[in-house]
Amino acid sequence: MFPWVDGFHWTVMHVVFLTIFGLVLLTVFSTFAWSLFRTASDLRSHRASEVCWRDNFSQLPEAERHCRHELSGRIIHRICPNAFDCGHCELYEAFAAMPVPVRSLNAGVEYSDKLLYHRGHTWVLPENDGTFTIGLDAFAHHLIGQPDTFKFPRKGSDVQHNGIAWRMTKNGHEIRVRAPLDGTILAIGGPQFGWYLHVKPRNPVDLRHLLQGPEVAGWLASEMDRLQIQLRAPDSPPALADGGSLMPELMDDAPDGNWDEVLAATFLDA
Amino acid sequence: MSDLAIVDRRFIARGEERASTLKFALWLVPWFALLAFGIYAAFLCLYYGLNQTNMDNRFAFGLWIFLDLSVIAMGAGAFFTGFLVYILKQEELKPVLNTAVVVGLVCYSGAVAVLMVDVGQPLRAWFTFWHPNTHSMLTEVTFCITCYLIVLVLEYLPVLLRNRQLQKVPSFLIFEHQFHKLVPVLAAVGAFLSFFHQGSLGGLYGVLRGRPFAFREHFAIWPTTFFLFILSAIAVGPSFLLLVVATVEAVTGKQLVAPSVLRKLGFISGIMLGVYVAAKSIDTLVWLNITSPSVGFAPWEYYAYKPFGSAILFSEIVLLGLFPAFLLIFPKTRARRGWLLFAATLTCGGILLNRFVLTVQTLALPTLAFDEFLKYTPSWQEVATFGAVVAYGVIVYSLSYRYLPLFGRSKGENKHVPVG
Amino acid sequence: MSARYGMLIDLDRCTGCGACMVACAVENNVPTLPARATDRTGLTPMLVHKVSNGVEGSAHREVFIPVACMHCANETPCVTVCPQQAVEVDKSTGIVMQIPQRCLGCRYCMTACPYHARYFNWWDPAWPPGMEKSLNPGVATRMRGVVEKCNLCHARLHTAMEKAAAAGKKEIDMADYVPACVEACPTNAILFGDLANPGDPVSVAAHAPDTFRLLARLGTEPKTYYKSHRAWVRALAERSPSGQPTEAQHV
Repeated sequence: MFPWVDGFHWTVMHVVFLTIFGLVLLTVFSTFAWSLFRTASDLRSHRASEVCWRDNFSQLPEAERHCRHELSGRIIHRICPNAFDCGHCELYEAFAAMPVPVRSLNAGVEYSDKLLYHRGHTWVLPENDGTFTIGLDAFAHHLIGQPDTFKFPRKGSDVQHNGIAWRMTKNGHEIRVRAPLDGTILAIGGPQFGWYLHVKPRNPVDLRHLLQGPEVAGWLASEMDRLQIQLRAPDSPPALADGGSLMPELMDDAPDGNWDEVLAATFLDA
Repeated sequence: MSDLAIVDRRFIARGEERASTLKFALWLVPWFALLAFGIYAAFLCLYYGLNQTNMDNRFAFGLWIFLDLSVIAMGAGAFFTGFLVYILKQEELKPVLNTAVVVGLVCYSGAVAVLMVDVGQPLRAWFTFWHPNTHSMLTEVTFCITCYLIVLVLEYLPVLLRNRQLQKVPSFLIFEHQFHKLVPVLAAVGAFLSFFHQGSLGGLYGVLRGRPFAFREHFAIWPTTFFLFILSAIAVGPSFLLLVVATVEAVTGKQLVAPSVLRKLGFISGIMLGVYVAAKSIDTLVWLNITSPSVGFAPWEYYAYKPFGSAILFSEIVLLGLFPAFLLIFPKTRARRGWLLFAATLTCGGILLNRFVLTVQTLALPTLAFDEFLKYTPSWQEVATFGAVVAYGVIVYSLSYRYLPLFGRSKGENKHVPVG
Repeated sequence: MSARYGMLIDLDRCTGCGACMVACAVENNVPTLPARATDRTGLTPMLVHKVSNGVEGSAHREVFIPVACMHCANETPCVTVCPQQAVEVDKSTGIVMQIPQRCLGCRYCMTACPYHARYFNWWDPAWPPGMEKSLNPGVATRMRGVVEKCNLCHARLHTAMEKAAAAGKKEIDMADYVPACVEACPTNAILFGDLANPGDPVSVAAHAPDTFRLLARLGTEPKTYYKSHRAWVRALAERSPSGQPTEAQHV
């Protein structure tokens, strides 16, 4: 097909034919190359985390996407259309202004009013110097017990809000813990310290999406319900427990449970 | 659950019900056995030569070429559904789009694999790109199918990247996200390429001046078989797709798409089949009365040999053409699943018969005055290789169904949350 | 040089001895084939057909028709369909050349040829021990999986051209270029010549009455002419109008 090939000569047909195929291949590879390019630029910017989270969120079952205001009792029913991004939710103000009904709920596990909770079961403690400490809440602790291994990011690296903060494994299951906010890691802890990460937040600081106070009880109670349904024996109906608290080291005590489901639902993973 | 089952479960999307690991493995075993046997047969052909087949100098094309033409026609559902969804905005067909892509990928890659065994010198396949003959329909087919196979692989990529574990890799997820936006471009390119290669496959026979049974009148450089093949491919694509989906629903015991989607596919297939039958009838009349007699071949002599009597022509156009077209177009029959599937099967049968007639009957018929009518039966190596392609298709589809969200989430439609 | 080489075969002289087939095989290094090869998987660039008039009893008549590549001059079917240009028409001679090293073995040309004059190498070529000494050094052997056919003993044309060039002549001497089948025929049933030269005996004979070409109505302009005084033989040029096939066997 090239001029130096013996016996070859260009005709109009050759030009037309090869031009068309050249264009087709160019178009096809351009789409691929363009997507690669956009992927690289997304990964370099901070948008990658947000895109991944929104995509993961869209695949969570409805049962895991209840609006916090429904869980706190302010409204009857709402499925979050916004990937838990209360900071940019138009209806947040209106809902937050509504009264919280008085309910006697047994959260089933301890929590603190001083801590701000992320839906992925991490807590945030604001320190005096403007930094934040991040830990794993009691619900998660009771489930996992003592993790087998840890994989932390390097000190000085960034965490993205709803990105993966650190990983743990337990009994062969990998757990990816989501970061409750954007920031740079100042120090790394562990279960023995009672906290996991110490971060300097990225400005501007917006923690509106974190739960605090009485709404935490509502949320934890619904998490307990979910847990009961997920861990019930295959042929038994869901048992509604009023009261009772979560036993520690549940993964070790009930090794036959559907931990894949439980962990994914708890940590808002796929 | 055993450790293997636990690991296996991790690759299956949350909330999706799938057969147990053991049951799935047992399902795959016979298909892998068939695949292995077919690969062995193909190896024999590659090692010892094509004397392992029953093809000969008179039957230069045999079962494999028939297979290639048939699966490529049936894989047309991939491009046509993509065209309908992305270009004609028929959103209702979105649930079957991923299945169409998998079916297309399997059909085309299977056809290319068989072709590599069918040719005498597979390592020279690239010569067509180096010395293209722009007068030859086969050059056009080669270029188009190569490009289209690339398009199909790229269309499958986002589906693959939606696997539960693969999408945990941020770069894969972001890439899928970005690439997904450009899939309409690929769909358009795919439709363009498919138009030409489906047509050229028909053109392969329509230009054969030396075979008046296949030779047809031309519009510019394109014989009427070019257009008839495009029409028949568009007609059979949706039917085959609907049969695949119905089969998967039967095997898995679940309703995977709304019945209206299958009925819509059937309706589209019926309309296109009707157009095809009309075009083919006209073409056949012209061929029987003008084209063939003009070179001294009286039409009735084509049908003088058993078992290729005129019943074949009648079957192709009426029994397996007009009849299923009616069944698919009329709402009363289309609404009943039994009739819908029956009509879709007949449609596929009609197109398969058409491909068979052009491949095998063309070569069986005599051309010289002193030729005889010939018979050909494929050897076991040819049949086994055919079986391997079918097995390959089932395996790839089974794996895709188990580990990828071919039909979206079964627990409610989750809209893609736009990034703020 | 712009020749159009062709043949005239006198069917009234052909005895069906098959010497042309053997000479062709020897000249072109056609390999022997395994025992399970049949007449449909054989390699016979020249093939003699035995055809009868379909009548039994005392009116039964037979004719032998040698068929090789016709080197079609108009829209040569095999040339137009080859996807990799492994078949070319040599403009200076009109010979349809096959390039074995380029052939993919797709066999599309074989479906295109109405004369069934193309043959596929279904096996690896192999010669019984000792027979390789009889190979013709002027002709390349082919490999498995490619198509081959009559090329009008192109090697002999080359020899004739070299001889003419050595003598300083522009045109070859037709006496130097005689294809193997023509040379071997004991009854001189095959005449070979240049159809572009009006004075050439083949050219003259091609226009004589009682001359026909096979399937001329297809419009491929084959360059092999046949001649017979017998009307029923001339009727074999086209498909029988009654649609009934005639009995045929290969020699």
